[in-house]
Amino acid sequence: MYRIIIIEDDPDIREELHILLTNEGYQVVALTDFQEADRQVEHYQPDLILLDLGLPGRDGFALCKDIRRKSRVPIIFVTCRDNSIDELKALSLGGDDYVTKPYNIPVLIARIKAVLRRSTGGGSQEDSMEANGLRLDLPRGILEHNGKSCEATKNEMKILCCLMHRPGEIVSRTDLIEYLWDNQIYIDDNTLSVNMTRLRSKLTEIGLGDYITTRRGMGYKI
Amino acid sequence: MKPIEFMRDRLGQIFIYIFLVAVLSMFLYLTGTALGVLILILSVWIPGAVVVMFLKYRKENLRLKELESIMEGLDKKYLFAECVQPANVYEGRMFQLMRRSGKGMIEAVSNAQKEQKEYREYIEDWVHEIKAPITATQLICNNNKSELSRKLLPQLAQIEGHVERALYYARAGSVEKDFMIRKTLLSGIVKDAITRHQTLLIQNGVKLETFGLETSGLDTSKNDVMVYTDGKWVTFMIGQLLSNAIRYRVENPVIRIEAHNYRKQVRLCITDNGIGIPANELPRIFERGFTGSNGRKRGGSTGMGLYICRKLADFLQITMDAETVQNEYTSISMIFPAKENLTKM
Repeated sequence: MYRIIIIEDDPDIREELHILLTNEGYQVVALTDFQEADRQVEHYQPDLILLDLGLPGRDGFALCKDIRRKSRVPIIFVTCRDNSIDELKALSLGGDDYVTKPYNIPVLIARIKAVLRRSTGGGSQEDSMEANGLRLDLPRGILEHNGKSCEATKNEMKILCCLMHRPGEIVSRTDLIEYLWDNQIYIDDNTLSVNMTRLRSKLTEIGLGDYITTRRGMGYKI
Repeated sequence: MKPIEFMRDRLGQIFIYIFLVAVLSMFLYLTGTALGVLILILSVWIPGAVVVMFLKYRKENLRLKELESIMEGLDKKYLFAECVQPANVYEGRMFQLMRRSGKGMIEAVSNAQKEQKEYREYIEDWVHEIKAPITATQLICNNNKSELSRKLLPQLAQIEGHVERALYYARAGSVEKDFMIRKTLLSGIVKDAITRHQTLLIQNGVKLETFGLETSGLDTSKNDVMVYTDGKWVTFMIGQLLSNAIRYRVENPVIRIEAHNYRKQVRLCITDNGIGIPANELPRIFERGFTGSNGRKRGGSTGMGLYICRKLADFLQITMDAETVQNEYTSISMIFPAKENLTKM
């Protein structure tokens, strides 16, 4: 499990970030004392630091410098200041990324993942997924069940990905559309229905006719 | 200066002259000077006075022309009084007065500039401060997903939009502009802008189509459309166009974002299938505060979005164009300059 340190002076943002990242499956430490921050970073040995720029006393730049003296831990700056000069300064001081508030939450998570992936070297994206007897071959875009297989489009693959991440749970259409948009598939409600119908007929082809169940007024479930 | 103006300035002097000559002639005539002698005196005296007047006029006129040409050649007109040599004491005093008045003006202007700068800085700070509570609210909504938070998120997105506009408006007017021209992936900018308006786009059931913006991965990266610009500013501009397209939508809204290579330049087109703009209003849409009949009908328009866009576009040397047919579509295009055409900024 990756450990992330949050250095943020606004208590509400700190707390909510804590909840958000914990829900995403990270081990989170939120610092409240910023004077000793670099020592605490040394103590906790995190895999990533989310660093706010506007801290009381010493600002994020100074802190970043101190941390960089001892450690190569990836740092993502999170800040309200969005001018190019600050961004340049942050990156030249050894920051790995620069995200401005108010951030789009999926984007923040994606950036965290990207930085972690880069820093830990390993972990190319998952190649395949499996749930309830269906296997997705992601790079080739193929669905497999009991030796039978068929090709699926990018949209269909992503729909299945979203559902298979949460087996047994009901995923609402809005959630599904949001997930697809996060993956640069900009579809509307009608197109989702069309995609769903096509996907179902493909699943029937390989003998999984009732793989996706519809819960009226609530969403989809596998 | 025309001769008549010169004479008008010396009306009193001329009258006294004529009066004195008349009194003198009368006196000489009454004391028995012969008429012939009198005429002789007058015919020398009067032309003499006229010639003196004329020479004086010529001198003043030449001096005036000289001063005018100095003024013409001055880059900073308010430094005029500093740049001329007074020809006499009188002029010297006049220039001194001018200098004082100029100084007062410069002080007033610099005060106003200072105030404006302070105000702009305050707006920037304020915008940065207001972003903290917006971020907190957004996180809270996200961590507690419910019907309520789903209703709040678009409202938050709108607040964010308004705040963002204020920030860029403050920035667009500043002398020390905050932008950096870099080689940037256009699809990245578009993706950012879409992500920022995702909540509103999805809520309004917008179908989004993109063309020419596929990222082809590492191998064929030369096919990716690159532009030389400041990504953040353009993200904001595209965001304005998107939110306009959402505001003036019809049922089943579709927004199409296309990128073409256009000779050495890149052209980005954002087309909606919305209510369009009346042809007679089209030339004015980039004006400050222009809301048009659409804005009046729907309300909530400020007439600032496109105005700020045009201002930012000018700095970035992006050409903006609009094409529209009422009740059919509106298409705004941005033509990014080729690298070679970017002048030093």
